Amino acid sequence: MLATYIQTLVSGLAIGGVYALIALSFSITFTTTKTMNFAQGEFISFGAFIGVAALLLLSGLAGGLTAIPGEAAAGWRYPAAALIATVVAGVMGVLIFLLAVRPFAGKRGMNWVMSTIGFGVILQSIGLTIWGPAPVMVPSPLGDGVLRIAGAGVRPQELIVLASAIAIMVIFDFVMRRTRIGKAMMAVAHSPQTASLMGINVNTVMIGAFALSSGLAGLAGVLIAPIASASLFMGLGFALKAFSGAIIGGLTNPRGCIYGGFILGVLESSVGLWQAQWKEIVVFSLIILVLAFRPQGLFGHASIDKV
Amino acid sequence: MLNLKNVHLAYGPITAVRDASIEVQQGEVVAIVGGNGAGKSTLLKGIAGLMPVDSGQISFENNDITRMPPHVRVARGIALSPEGRQVFSDQSVYDNLTLGAYFRRLSKEALEAEIEEQFKLFPRLRERRSQLAETLSGGEQQMLAIARALMSKPKLLLLDEPSLGLAPKIIQEIFAIIVSLRKAGITILLVEQMANMALAIADRAYVLETGRVTMTGTGQQLLHDPKVRAAYLGVTHTAA
Ligand SMILES: Nc1ncnc2c1ncn2[C@@H]1O[C@H](COP(=O)(O)OP(=O)(O)OP(=O)(O)O)[C@@H](O)[C@H]1O
Ligand SMILES: [Mg+2]
Repeated sequence: MLATYIQTLVSGLAIGGVYALIALSFSITFTTTKTMNFAQGEFISFGAFIGVAALLLLSGLAGGLTAIPGEAAAGWRYPAAALIATVVAGVMGVLIFLLAVRPFAGKRGMNWVMSTIGFGVILQSIGLTIWGPAPVMVPSPLGDGVLRIAGAGVRPQELIVLASAIAIMVIFDFVMRRTRIGKAMMAVAHSPQTASLMGINVNTVMIGAFALSSGLAGLAGVLIAPIASASLFMGLGFALKAFSGAIIGGLTNPRGCIYGGFILGVLESSVGLWQAQWKEIVVFSLIILVLAFRPQGLFGHASIDKV
Repeated sequence: MLNLKNVHLAYGPITAVRDASIEVQQGEVVAIVGGNGAGKSTLLKGIAGLMPVDSGQISFENNDITRMPPHVRVARGIALSPEGRQVFSDQSVYDNLTLGAYFRRLSKEALEAEIEEQFKLFPRLRERRSQLAETLSGGEQQMLAIARALMSKPKLLLLDEPSLGLAPKIIQEIFAIIVSLRKAGITILLVEQMANMALAIADRAYVLETGRVTMTGTGQQLLHDPKVRAAYLGVTHTAA
């Protein structure tokens, strides 16, 4: 029984790590630009497929229609593919900001919601043309065997996902709190006008925020592909859950978003252990409860400004 | 040094500054006085680049800066300590000061040295260097806002109501600091509710009424002008 619990906890933390990364990606653009990329789901899917393409390209192997060979992900190729997917998604993030967000940012209305959703629909159509609708099995760089930890069966990819997610979030936190660029991002998040008075190029920071946010989504796609299979429809579910995690944790607090993502992942897999079909009901009831009692999220704080 | 020619500034359909022509010479302290809603803060925002200029021209050191974005103006030497202080409440006093020097890319040692200079000017900030800015009192936040603006090593310092909400003793301190900054060679454009104190230290001053410049003269002239005294110094015509 204990083994089952450990197994559930590890998968919950791994999936939660992915939620946390994506939740963080929502928070990054929300705090700096007061907008979000509602095509984040498509960015996740694209990340996975760009990762697949990179694996095949780097290994020189041919992929089947529904699976790619295990050796393609071996050694340095998986991290290299992850990096490529992150960068490509980051560049796409700059594009979506320039084309679909900036024309509407800071203006009244929510046009950016529609324009980013539209961008996502276009992306998905392009993706379907290139890669087709079938899911592709992606190998894990550590193989698809099962590790035994205290009797519990743990998939190595789950450990990779968890370790990568934690590493990225620790680095992000350090950058935000300790470096010049992090302080500039916090300044823009607090007030773009005042930030510009510090000589900060607010526009550049906003572009950087979208690049970073989208890069994280692309990376999340590569990380989750060996567990969930790459599919152009996989991203939406992750984005929705991650967004919920961000709301639970507090959209304006990056650390809160990370906790929210992990809480959601662990909760989901625990409920799944008990009654799989109750998963969504419990998760979304929790979100509604949290919002009813703490509209700013569990870790969000209503800011106090002296007058 | 700074030259505004027939500047119009508006918030959408609401014109806040009309046809303003204002000049600030190198080394001067120039005051802008006027009632609530006269357009004083709007004028400073226009000079700092926070608002687009609808018509007219702003030049600084003989360069046209009318369309220059705010972060570039800071690098050229124009710093604004904004109305309502606007400190970064979620960052420490130290980090706020660091941000003031953001574009200068100072080495760690140079940054420390300059922050130390600000602490000499505002000793209260030294004891609170690691505190979040939101935990400072209003007066301390005002000092932080001025110190932060000074961290950019400005040639022209724009101060929007530095005395707002401060105790009389602190106001005295702030004005003493303004005078010392002028001695240090910084040109100052000062917007103040404390019109008498502002006019007393100002070389020249402008009176702004509903967006228009209605009067200008030396600080002393305006200080003794019966209309100014009646409108802004709380002194009636008969008493003057
Ligand atoms: N963000 C804004 N949107 C619309 N109108 C504004 C805005 N800010 C100021 N105004 C209007 O512009 C005019 C000038 O405002 P401004 O803040 O420049 O006045 P002020 O002289 O600084 O006043 P105070 O002494 O009260 O600070 C006012 O009529 C005000 O209502
Ligand atoms: Mg004002």
